[in-house]
Amino acid sequence: MAVRVILGLLLTVVASGLAGRRLLMLYRLGRAGQPAEPGRTRGVAARVRAELTEVLGQRKLLKWTVPGTAHLLTFWGFLILGLTLIEGYGALVDRDFHLPWIGTQPWLGFLEDLFAVAVLLAVLVFAAIRLRHLPAREGTRSRFFGSHLGGAWLILFMIFNVVWTLLLYRGAQINTGNFPYADGAFASEVVARVLAPLGTTANDVIETAGLLLALGVVLTFLVIVVHSKHLHIFTAAPNVAFSRRPRALGALQPVRSGGKLVDFDDPGEDDVIGRGAIEDFTWKGMLDFASCTECGRCQSQCPAWNTGKPLSPKLLIMSLRDHALAKAPYLLAGDDHAGVDALAAAEAQRPLVAEGGVITPDVLWSCTTCGACVEQCPVDIEHVDHIVDMRRYQVVMEASFPREAAVLLRNLEHAGDPWGRGAANRLDWTAKLDFPVRVLGDGEALPDDAEYLFWVGCAGAFDERAVRTSQAVAELLHTAGVGYAVLGSGETCTGDPARRLGNELLFQELARQNVATLTAAGVRKIVTTCAHCFNSLANEYPQLGGTFEVVHHTQLLSRLLAEGRLTPVTPVQATVTYHDPCYLGRHNRIFAPPRDILGSVAGVRLTEPDRTRERSFCCGAGGARMWLEEPLGTRINEARTDELLATGADVVAAACPYCIDMLADGVAQRAAEGVTVTDVAGVLLRSVRAIPDDPEGATR
Amino acid sequence: MKIVVLVKYVPEPTATWSFADDHTLDRQNVEGRLSELDEYAVEQALRIAETVPGAHVRYLTMGPARAADGLRKALAMGGDDAVHVLDDALHGADAVATSLVLATALRQAGFDLVLCGMASTDAEMSVVPAMVADRLGVPAVTLAAELSTDGSAVTARRDTDVATEELTAPLPALLSITDRSGDVRLPSFRNIVAAKKKPVVTWSLADLGIAPERIGAATVVRAVRPRPAREAGTVITDEGDAAVQLADFLAANKLL
Repeated sequence: MAVRVILGLLLTVVASGLAGRRLLMLYRLGRAGQPAEPGRTRGVAARVRAELTEVLGQRKLLKWTVPGTAHLLTFWGFLILGLTLIEGYGALVDRDFHLPWIGTQPWLGFLEDLFAVAVLLAVLVFAAIRLRHLPAREGTRSRFFGSHLGGAWLILFMIFNVVWTLLLYRGAQINTGNFPYADGAFASEVVARVLAPLGTTANDVIETAGLLLALGVVLTFLVIVVHSKHLHIFTAAPNVAFSRRPRALGALQPVRSGGKLVDFDDPGEDDVIGRGAIEDFTWKGMLDFASCTECGRCQSQCPAWNTGKPLSPKLLIMSLRDHALAKAPYLLAGDDHAGVDALAAAEAQRPLVAEGGVITPDVLWSCTTCGACVEQCPVDIEHVDHIVDMRRYQVVMEASFPREAAVLLRNLEHAGDPWGRGAANRLDWTAKLDFPVRVLGDGEALPDDAEYLFWVGCAGAFDERAVRTSQAVAELLHTAGVGYAVLGSGETCTGDPARRLGNELLFQELARQNVATLTAAGVRKIVTTCAHCFNSLANEYPQLGGTFEVVHHTQLLSRLLAEGRLTPVTPVQATVTYHDPCYLGRHNRIFAPPRDILGSVAGVRLTEPDRTRERSFCCGAGGARMWLEEPLGTRINEARTDELLATGADVVAAACPYCIDMLADGVAQRAAEGVTVTDVAGVLLRSVRAIPDDPEGATR
Repeated sequence: MKIVVLVKYVPEPTATWSFADDHTLDRQNVEGRLSELDEYAVEQALRIAETVPGAHVRYLTMGPARAADGLRKALAMGGDDAVHVLDDALHGADAVATSLVLATALRQAGFDLVLCGMASTDAEMSVVPAMVADRLGVPAVTLAAELSTDGSAVTARRDTDVATEELTAPLPALLSITDRSGDVRLPSFRNIVAAKKKPVVTWSLADLGIAPERIGAATVVRAVRPRPAREAGTVITDEGDAAVQLADFLAANKLL
């Protein structure tokens, strides 16, 4: 007995020491980060709900049924088998130990064995998945490309060891009469039957040795976990708890420096805008990096990675984590860096973003901010925020960005729109309409009979295809008798492309101007046709004191249909597929209204592409990518066009001017005869106009 | 080395321009900016300053009160300080008067190298650089697409329709810079913050010792009318003779 106790405790002390040292270092590394934004603990109910659904319920993991189920069994297996750990420690001291109250109930023995077997099966499933998707065979298409494969196999091997050693000593316990459960532990009983012929003495030895072996395996596993990507066992639950709720999509976070909001009227000399070094990230950012389990679900959905660009959200987070760990001795040495080992000192010299840096510019600028990675991530890592934060530093602090972005920035700064056309031409789209559009003059308030301010947006005013959408929406609102007015030359870019490119200064300038204009005009309700404008107006302007009730035109039109204020009369005989714009769908959860509109039109046969709704695949234009070249890999818009054409549709409908441009280019590139690309409003207009199908009509 | 960059605050080209009662541009009500063409001169000055130890970059402008915004923009890109010649009597000055004021201010400030844009984006005269150099009696190299200096002379490349010239002039000298000279930097955050503290001095005509009656314009604007709206272009439908029609159109417009 004494031997059992001494050896068991010795193992425990050594393992706890090794693991504790590592965890303390990780904690200090997190503390070396910046203070996190306030609000990380706000809304406790939502956070508890997230813990229940995402951690205990494994909601996001179950999006992928087979690996999700295997993970659920492993996760719950470890929770249940935690009881056997208590039983094991008890048995060190008292051979006949059992848990108080329920410790001899057959159902508990059954439950423990059931999950032991389930975990074994899950390990087999994981191994099969890893073999099926070997990066050596699948290359970059594999979720596991670039993940630590050796480490992953070691973890699977250790889980296997945990289970068999557990069953070994439980089987011996049955034979020596020291097992708490007279009945129910079916797997242990099978092992017992195998061990029984060896005799009592042998089973005695096996029981002790097996118990020590099982404890040794668990403790070794603990040490391995805290030194590996498997750290998520400890970090995932807190990371989910402190995540942005409902999700890290929609608005970008305001800029903070040293935890304080930056005052862009009078910024401090020492303010750091964005992240220029690993220690510029907040502790929550560090927790994100420490939570990444290298599963590659983000990577599998990433439009950049899927089209041969070097950006993989997984590899990006892994690079940041590995860099943080390599630089840790330097960061934790305080002010005296003399004793820091050479490797850490060298890592400290590595720039965060540069050729040969932790992240290369090609990786940073490939992101479309579509949010597919954030949507997928089972541990709620906030990839988009981190990428934009690094862009912010590059643009604002270093004035370093892709060359062609200079034209965009110059046009936004001086003309107020990406094309550089200037405010004076913002009403050109109304010239050919046969009904009046009310324009608010400088300083004029929105009249009482105008319910909505129609935010036309730069694309809606200047882009040929988007102009047709503006005209269609104007006509539909006019037909439905909805009172509205436009700002005309009083409008300027919402700042979305500037902000997502990282130019927070320009975003602030544009956004403040718009907030001032809208507030002065007494605007309460806004309708807009651009998913990006919608997102800025609805989600980001409140950060600047501009709170408005913003609807996307598809929401308003579907409501007008429901209220009977618009009546589709002319059938549109077409197979229509709908592409969910990232900034309308994934970022803002508006999925039903565009489909309702299409469904209301007689003759329309709606088909869905394979990737749709939350999993919709980006058109390639978000994150200011619309204005940048796409020299790497294949074109994102063509990849998406192929997915949409595969539905056999002859009309591709979307609800965002950039998507429509990108997909129309894709359709032209694929020379898809007879396929038109249009806004949802275009299809509706064709049906609302009481004239037969006009091939040269609104869907042109 | 004292580098002085002549910069102009101009109306925003994409804005709607309006004119005051005296037929001059209503600069109070039209958005303005640092002339884009002058940004190239600022960029080149800063690049030289990066390579020449102890170089001092100063900006000089003549314009209304709001022209200070143009100086701040230049200072946000880099450089040390700025001079703003501000005087009500300068209202409506033409290129001759402008060159007098700028040359006098340059003499007062001191300079080794004067850089400016190839033209303003509003009046587009492109004669002020040569006039200023003439008044100062220093060599002028206009339309430089590339320049370098060794501290005693400046060498510039100039691309013309017939040849690419390489010109060298001893310092002090004046150069006007083209928009092909290189990409213009975006002001970085630190420079924007620092620019708020950089000195900008204001000089009046009296400070320069110029009598107000010497300032004016040799021409008088009688009327200002908005440009007529653009008419729709001609659409040629090809019925076999489109090429001929197109050629006739080009010939009629003296483009062939």
